[in-house]
Amino acid sequence: METQAPAKQPDCAAWLDQHGDYLFKYAVFRLRDQTAAEDAVQETFLAAIKAYENFQGRGSERTWLVGIMKHKITDHFRRVAREAPVGEGEDEASEHAELFRESGQWTGHWDPDHAPTDWQATPSELVERIDFWRVFGDCLAPLPQRTASVFTLREVDGLKSDEICELLNISANNLWVMLHRARLHLRNCLEVNWFKRPER
Amino acid sequence: MALKVYDKLKHSIRYFLLRRLPPCQQMVETISQSMERKLTLRERTNMKLHLWICAWCQWYMEHLHIIRNAARAKAADPSGPSLSAEARDRIKRNLTNQN
Repeated sequence: METQAPAKQPDCAAWLDQHGDYLFKYAVFRLRDQTAAEDAVQETFLAAIKAYENFQGRGSERTWLVGIMKHKITDHFRRVAREAPVGEGEDEASEHAELFRESGQWTGHWDPDHAPTDWQATPSELVERIDFWRVFGDCLAPLPQRTASVFTLREVDGLKSDEICELLNISANNLWVMLHRARLHLRNCLEVNWFKRPER
Repeated sequence: MALKVYDKLKHSIRYFLLRRLPPCQQMVETISQSMERKLTLRERTNMKLHLWICAWCQWYMEHLHIIRNAARAKAADPSGPSLSAEARDRIKRNLTNQN
């Protein structure tokens, strides 16, 4: 069946040309940090060289490399979670109290100036808008790192709640609070900086 | 006439519920949790009633789902800056040195 045995040593230069850019975009979309993303690309290729014999051309090279990169990104998030000062993500993320009325009969209800409006958008339309994703990244940037990490693991990579808790060694309650704060902030930021912009 | 009575009744029910249900600030947290775990019967009932009368929280919930679905669709097709030629060369060098 097999006409030629797979080479033991991969062609690094060709690899980098074929997959480097995709892997970098994949990493930078999640890490939002160019240097960290470059490191992740390098670590991915290094690990891939070591494990090349196990791969032996089964399936798509791209899929295999992305699988390795996922682990590298998770390692990065884990490191961030470990190194973040205690309490970060619990106290520092803004509560965005200004979005809600602070006094009067309707205390705790939406302030009309900050209340959600009709976005008139579908996910498939948004996926195509490159500048939307730039705003998306800018909106996540001010969040505490740990909060942004759990948001990315949950909403981009679709990991389950309990998987994320185990990975980052946090309680479910802690996770829910961080996700809630990330969503509250991001939704408002996207509305102000994207959906309400007349020129979009 | 009947329409007027109906409007008045609807308004009263709405007002009554808004005064008694948890406010939006608390509701947005429940909405977020509904994407993470099964809500208790009480939470679920409060959320359904609140959403029935509050268009703002309805939008809120819809937006969270739009963000989730868009982000997950984008996950395998990331856009963004390209790997710089400089970084590419550096990585290439480091990989060759390792071999």
